[in-house]
Amino acid sequence: MKDVNAENIEFLGSGALAPVKKWGAKWSLWAVHLVTSCCGVELAHAYASGYDAERWGTLNFGMMRQTNLIIVEGTITKKMARALRITWEQMPDPKFVILIGACGIEGGLFWNSYHITRPWKIVPVDYFVPGCPPTPEGLISAVRALQKKIERGEARTTVDFKEADLAKILGTEAGKERKPPKPPLKIAEKPEIKIEPKEVDWEFGNQLVDKLRGKIPYAEVFTTNVNRIYIKTNAKFYKKVAKALESEGFDHVKSINVIDVLHENKFIVECSVSSYSVKELMPVIVTFAAEIDRNNPRIPSLTDIWLSADYQEREMHDFFGVWFEGNPNMGQKFLIAPEVETPLRKDFKLEEPSYVLEESK
Amino acid sequence: MSEMKEYSLPVPVKPPAEIESLELPVPPGLDEKATKGDEIVLFVGPQHGGSGHMRLIVRVHGDVIREVIPDPGFVHRGVEKLAENKLYIQNIPLVERPAIMDCVNFSLGYVRAIEQAMDIEVPERAKYIRTMLAEICRIGTHFYDAGILSVFLGHTTGFMWPFALRELACEVLMRVAGARITASYVVPGGVRRDVDNSTLNYIYEATTYIQRKAKDFERIFVRNPVTIARLKDVAALSKKEAIKYGIVGPFLRACGVEYDVRAVEPYDAYDELTWDVIVADEGDSYSRFLVRVNEIQQSISIIKQCVKALKDMPQGNIVSADIAGKKKAKEGEEKRGLDTVKGAFFRLFGRLTLPAGEYTTLTEAARGTLLYTIVSDGKSNAPYRLRVVTPGWCYLKGFMESLKGCRVADLQAVYGSFGYFPPEADR
Repeated sequence: MKDVNAENIEFLGSGALAPVKKWGAKWSLWAVHLVTSCCGVELAHAYASGYDAERWGTLNFGMMRQTNLIIVEGTITKKMARALRITWEQMPDPKFVILIGACGIEGGLFWNSYHITRPWKIVPVDYFVPGCPPTPEGLISAVRALQKKIERGEARTTVDFKEADLAKILGTEAGKERKPPKPPLKIAEKPEIKIEPKEVDWEFGNQLVDKLRGKIPYAEVFTTNVNRIYIKTNAKFYKKVAKALESEGFDHVKSINVIDVLHENKFIVECSVSSYSVKELMPVIVTFAAEIDRNNPRIPSLTDIWLSADYQEREMHDFFGVWFEGNPNMGQKFLIAPEVETPLRKDFKLEEPSYVLEESK
Repeated sequence: MSEMKEYSLPVPVKPPAEIESLELPVPPGLDEKATKGDEIVLFVGPQHGGSGHMRLIVRVHGDVIREVIPDPGFVHRGVEKLAENKLYIQNIPLVERPAIMDCVNFSLGYVRAIEQAMDIEVPERAKYIRTMLAEICRIGTHFYDAGILSVFLGHTTGFMWPFALRELACEVLMRVAGARITASYVVPGGVRRDVDNSTLNYIYEATTYIQRKAKDFERIFVRNPVTIARLKDVAALSKKEAIKYGIVGPFLRACGVEYDVRAVEPYDAYDELTWDVIVADEGDSYSRFLVRVNEIQQSISIIKQCVKALKDMPQGNIVSADIAGKKKAKEGEEKRGLDTVKGAFFRLFGRLTLPAGEYTTLTEAARGTLLYTIVSDGKSNAPYRLRVVTPGWCYLKGFMESLKGCRVADLQAVYGSFGYFPPEADR
C-alpha cells in the first residue's frame, strides 16, 4: 500500500505555494461527522463550549466532501468498516485521520469481540489517542500534533516513553522460569441450567399464579422472586400461553432471550412480558420459556400478538439461528454483519486472553 | 393533502446494484416495487449528523415518508457474548460502555441483578450515593440528547449550552469516582469509595447552578419558536400505539402512560424520596423533549434530597457486610460493612459465583427501561448468559412507526427527539 500520509505531507510541502498550502491546511482541519462510537461523547465535549476546539481551526462538519479530517471515535465494527472506508475515499486530498480511544488501537475492552475490526487496517492513521475514553484534552493535543506535523513536514510522537528492561523487572534474567498466573476464569464443563420455584412473601403474585395455573393447566407456573413469575412450557403450547397472558392484560414484550445449553443439545427460548395498561401488573414480569431442539430450532413467532417482539426475535435469529415461524423477516441479518454466523452459540469460541508475556506479536 | 395525479415517465430506472451487495434487511423486491411506482428509496446514513451510526432506509412518496426500515448494528460490539467470558466483576465496565454518559444507571442494573442473586442488603449510605449519581447521569444524558437534538435542528447555540452544563456532571463524576464519564463506581454490595462532605457541597452547588442555567436554556432553546415549529405535532404517537410498540421511558410517558420503574418497582433509595413522574399527553416530538426537560428538574430535586440525607449520615459503611464476609456482629451491634473497597477488591469480588438460577432486574436509565437478565449455572464465576435489553433497542420500533406520514425534512428532528443513541441500542 502507498504511504498516503507521507504523500499528503509531501504535497503540502511542495511547490512555490507550499507556505500557503501548509498554512491553509493547518488552520482548517475540519472533521467529518463520523461519530462511530461512545468516544463521541468526549469529542462533543471537545467541540462544545467547555473546551472549544474551534479555537485551533478545527470544526466538526456534516459532509465528507467538505472535510479533510476523520476523527475515528473508538470501535469500528465489521459493519461500519465499509462505511468508514467509503467516507475516507470520498474526502478530497490532502486528508488526515486521528484515531481516538483504546478500542481503535487494539480493541480495548472489546478486543476479542466477534464484531470489531482494527480501524488502522482500514484507513491510514496519523495520530492515535489512547484512553477509554480519552479526555477532550487528549483529542485536542492530537489535533495540535497534527498541525505541527503539517507545519514541520514530519511526524513526531507527543510522548517519549522510557525503555524498561523487562527481564530485570520480571526477574527472568537469571534463568528462572516465571510461571504465568492462573487464569481466574472458571467455566463449568457441563453447566446445569435450572430455574426453580422460590417461595416468596408476595400476596398478589401468589393469587396471580393460582389464576394462571387455572388458565393454563398444561404449563408449570411458579414465582422465582417478588414480582417475577416463571412459566415452563413447550414449543407446542408456547403461543397458547402467550395468548392467555395477553388476555390477562400483559401488553408488551420486555425481552426475548435464548439460552444455549450445548451439552444437552437444546435451546431455551424465553419471553418476558409485562403490562403498561394495568396498574397492578406494571411491576410484574412474567417469563415463559420453551425448550427446543438445537439442531432444528423453530418456535412460533409472537409478532402477531405483541408487535414489540419483532426486533428482538430478529436479533435472536442473528445471534442463535433460532427460526421464529411467522416473523416475516427471518433469514436476513439484522443486527450483525453478514459474515458472522450465530455468534452467541456456545460452540462459537472467542479468542482467550493470554496470561504470558510474549516477545512481540 | 390532495393526491396529485400520477404521470408515468417512460424512463427505464434500474435499482442501484448496492441494494444487492449491501445485504440490507429489507423485504425482497422493495427496490423494484419502489422504482416501478412513484416512490423513492432513500438511504440515510450510516454517516449522518447524529451521534452514533445507523442506516435508515426510507421509502418516500413525494416528500412524505411511507415507511422506514432500520438497519442497526453499526455499533454492535457483542457485549452479551463478551460478558460470558469475563468474571462477574469484570463485566461492570463492559455493561456501561453501551451508554457511557449514563454509566451509573447501566452498571446499577447489572449490579442489582448480582445483589438479587446473592441476597445482599446494601447499606443505607451506599443506596443514597448510588441514587444521587444515577440522577446526575440522568441529567447528563438528557442534556446530551438535548445537544444532539439541537445539532439535528441546526441550532448551534442549543448544542453549546447543554454541553457546557454537562461539564458539571462530568466534574461531579470525576470528583466522586475519578473518571469524567466512565465511573465504574457501583460494585456488588455498595459503591467503590465514600463521598466526603466537601464533594457533597460541590454537588449541591453544581445542581443549584444547573437549575438556574437550565431556565436560561429553556428560554434560548426549549421555548424557541423555531424549536417549537420543528417539533410540535411532528411524529405523534397515541397512547395505544405507544403500548403496542413497547416504547419505554420518557418517550412512553410523553404518550400519557404513567410508567416509571423508579416508581412502580422502586430500587435503592427512590421510595424514600419525594418526586413526581412527569407525564405528557400529546405524544409528539415536542412533548418527548419536554418530558425530559422537566425530568431534569425532578432529578435535581432528588439529588438535593440525597445530599441532605448523606450529610446527616455518618461516614463510612458503604460496602455491605454480607459481601465483605465479616463475622456476625456482637450483641446489640449492627453489622457494619467496609468503608472502602481499597485493598479488598480481589478478595471480595475475584471469585464471585452466583447461585444457579435466573435473575432479572429493571432499571430506569435516562432513556428508559433497562433490563438485565443474568443466567447463572452456579459453578462458573462468569455469567452463563447475560441478556441486556437497552432502552434504545426497545423504542426503535416505535421510532420507526412514528415516522410514517412525516416529511423527509422532519426525519432528523424526530431522530433527535427520541435521543436515539446507536451504541446503546446495538450494544
